[in-house]
Amino acid sequence: MDTKYIRNFSIVAHIDHGKSTLADRMLELTGTITARQAKEQLLDDMDIERERGITIKASAVTMHYPYEGHTYMLNLIDTPGHVDFHYEVSRALAACEGALLVVDASQGVEAQTVANAYLAVETGVEIMGVINKVDLPAAQPAAVAEEIEHVLGIRAKECFAISAKTGQGVKELLDAICELLPPPADRTQEATRALVFDSHSDPYRGVICYVRVFSGALRVRQRIRLMHTERSYLVTELGKFRPQMSPVDELGTGEVGYIVANIRDLADVHVGDTVTDDANPAETPLKSYQPPMQMVFSDFYPGDNTEYSKLRSAFERLALNDASFSFVPQNSPALGFGFRCGFLGLLHMEIIQERLERENDVDIVQTAPTVSYEVVMNDGQIRRIGSPSELPDRSHIQELREPFVRLEIITSTESIGGIMKLAEARRCKLVKTDYLNPTRVIMEYRAPLAEIVYDFYDQIKGISRGYATMDYELIGFEATNLVKIDILVNGQPVDALSIIVHRDNAEQRGRKVILKLKKAIPRHQFEVPLQVAIGGKIIARETVKAFRKDVTAKLYGGDVTRKMKVLKRQKEGKRRMKSIGSVQIPQKAFMSILDTSD
Amino acid sequence: MIPQATSLDREAPGLYLHVPFCTSKCRYCGFYSQPLAGRDADRLVSALVREVQEYRNVAAVRTIYIGGGSPTSLPVHRLAGLIETVASIWPQAQEFTVECNPGQVGVEMLSMLARRGVNRLSFGVQSFHAAELELLGRRHTTDDARRSIEHAQDLGFDNVGIDLIFAIPGSTLASWEYCLRSALALGVQHISAYSLSFEPGTPLDEARRLGQIESVDEETDRAMYEMTIDCLASAGFAQYEVSNFARDGFACRHNQGYWENRPYIGIGPSAASYWQAERTANVADIDTYIHRMEAGSSPIEERDRPNRADRICETAVLNLRTRKGVDLIEFHRRTGANFREVFELPLRRHERAGLLEVTADRVRLARTALAVADSVLCDFSAF
Repeated sequence: MDTKYIRNFSIVAHIDHGKSTLADRMLELTGTITARQAKEQLLDDMDIERERGITIKASAVTMHYPYEGHTYMLNLIDTPGHVDFHYEVSRALAACEGALLVVDASQGVEAQTVANAYLAVETGVEIMGVINKVDLPAAQPAAVAEEIEHVLGIRAKECFAISAKTGQGVKELLDAICELLPPPADRTQEATRALVFDSHSDPYRGVICYVRVFSGALRVRQRIRLMHTERSYLVTELGKFRPQMSPVDELGTGEVGYIVANIRDLADVHVGDTVTDDANPAETPLKSYQPPMQMVFSDFYPGDNTEYSKLRSAFERLALNDASFSFVPQNSPALGFGFRCGFLGLLHMEIIQERLERENDVDIVQTAPTVSYEVVMNDGQIRRIGSPSELPDRSHIQELREPFVRLEIITSTESIGGIMKLAEARRCKLVKTDYLNPTRVIMEYRAPLAEIVYDFYDQIKGISRGYATMDYELIGFEATNLVKIDILVNGQPVDALSIIVHRDNAEQRGRKVILKLKKAIPRHQFEVPLQVAIGGKIIARETVKAFRKDVTAKLYGGDVTRKMKVLKRQKEGKRRMKSIGSVQIPQKAFMSILDTSD
Repeated sequence: MIPQATSLDREAPGLYLHVPFCTSKCRYCGFYSQPLAGRDADRLVSALVREVQEYRNVAAVRTIYIGGGSPTSLPVHRLAGLIETVASIWPQAQEFTVECNPGQVGVEMLSMLARRGVNRLSFGVQSFHAAELELLGRRHTTDDARRSIEHAQDLGFDNVGIDLIFAIPGSTLASWEYCLRSALALGVQHISAYSLSFEPGTPLDEARRLGQIESVDEETDRAMYEMTIDCLASAGFAQYEVSNFARDGFACRHNQGYWENRPYIGIGPSAASYWQAERTANVADIDTYIHRMEAGSSPIEERDRPNRADRICETAVLNLRTRKGVDLIEFHRRTGANFREVFELPLRRHERAGLLEVTADRVRLARTALAVADSVLCDFSAF
């Protein structure tokens, strides 16, 4: 197909601004699916995604659309909408020439709108502003258009006003995509180069690679080479997503589709790799984008040590379809054998955790998530650690660095004061504020990731009564004055309860942690002392009192069935607890150490 | 595999009759009962008799227990009729207990019970402090209690028990000791001592939630319990179950049947049975019960057939409440299971923590574990 008539684009938007609805409407208008087939939000094919109303994996669909006497091939590459999955957005954008930036006409520009716009600008794609939900009574398309111009530099008068729900303006938008977005460069004659922008594992066909061809073409029975791994494979099937997988004989320059090539293991395919012809390879690979970086780590232990191998196979299954999740064996003196897992962010972690529980019958005890740190050793060597327990002895450390992010918060003017106070307490440095309009402001901070990754978003939501949105992006590691807080339970240090914090807050945090633990650890038949140590020195102590009375006074004939149920519940309550010595520590205790509320 | 129908299914059951009437409802009571006023006691007794008749082919019952509610709230001749029916079908029962409400039993009632072969009385005294009785909503006075127990003894009852409640709001170690001493002074053979529990939905629980009364703190509750065990032991009352104490030979055999997980037949509204390997419960509502009995239909409302695992766990939990504990041979005979194997993990853990005493043929709660028994027993509720 002539590349002139191909358009590759993504839709990027803040959560709930109508990205998926717009995609559905386009599929319908182009006859790719009928309205009857249009299951709600067809592109989100995972249950958890649909339940949470977010997209977490990119996916692609090919549509055909007649415009001015020609049939255009429109390839829509869907993108996730959450901060944790930035890298998925950037890899989707890397396969496109254009992006539709969708903004809700009643909500206006949000933090993720801005973050997505930055990504699009960095990738160099053409951006079209789209104001959605203009049918809503609260819609203010003109004001929103001005915000878009003010913050994102897209001209207000060039924005498209649509309603994905009613279909209003969507046809005009499709026309504009054909008219305004650039076609792929015509590199038909050059050596084959295709970008792998996603992959998933199919139980019958092995790995399915999602590709965008940048030059040359791919054909069935062709021997291809993955330039990064330098492995070659025979293409057994090529196809397009319409939206179901439909085989084709060839994918030409500019086209988007999939490759099946007997690749067994998802780990053999690096998203971002370049596919070329094995016999006539390209000289250089396509410019790859940044690989995803794991920002949050957490340890998972089986509630019962005998279930270790069960947990391992559960993780193996999860990793099959999520290359950005990692797990390595971990041995904790206090908790026994488990796994250190790496995630893109907190949401990613929650999704994995939910899947683990839903798809497997394993009791898990999970430690509080932590960010990764850079440790500069005395000999100048730099180590990356994903857990406070991995921190080497202080005498061997020259410097400890923590990750910093550029944080953007969009909020109402009346909540600025509250948010600034919170941000300051969390060691965030204000870089600039900018008024979107007289009542809305965008604040940019330089913030330590550790301070904002856990409950920061909930807090600013609270302060702004649900109004504020935020997004962030890693900018680098920076040395700060950090110390490790150790927690002793019943005299025994519990590595999984250690946290790394800034020295200025260390004592206060330590005291807070044991107060939280005191609430979270159930009473035992004996007293359980809880202690905080910084640098080997005990600075605070609390005690979980022993329970003194726990017995049913009357148990006669009429009570047996009911009482057995009560006892079973009591026994159930002991599940998801980890024994440390003779102390049972429940799952929630491990998480409570991050709770900074009073 | 365990044999499906064992000789145990044919062992003589205990018989329990539930009289769901009370003169008035006590403020702590979570059991099903209705005020007697305006109720047709005749129809209820006829219905009870009818249900008893359905079991007349059961060759023998070990023990008979009439409880409530308040059996003695029935007119003397009605209760007499009920006892007559039961005693005539099963004259050989070893033990025949009737629960007595101290304010309700006069000489007439007591001599009727004695004449009809009742050989054990259990008095719901609860406390020897007027203020506590009032808080509990009991209608009798401490004098009523003393007088009726003395009458019973004068009439020849030599197996008399008293129920007491401790940790009543406002009580102290000293006030509780006074209750125990008062009970002992009456020369009874059996004492049940229950820590007050706030049953959801009772007026007492409501008062606590509203802050009108304050429950006794856990430490004091524990101390009261420990004192009960010591005080009664020195008076010659051995503890034989979490809340039950008796002079030698006077343990309540009927209740022991429950803790040995033997079968029992429950008669009356809301009564529970464990009969022919099935746990059932009768409909609670008195009118529905009477209607069903009069219509010749079954009063059973809930049925549950415990599987092998259920039987093993129920037997373990119930046995462990007794001071005798689990008799390993008897346990195997009753359940077909090896206790040590099935409960290997909790057994080891609690033994190490000093909460279980394990010998070659027996496992029982350590003295220190009695006050926190549920935290141990729950680990035997499933495996």
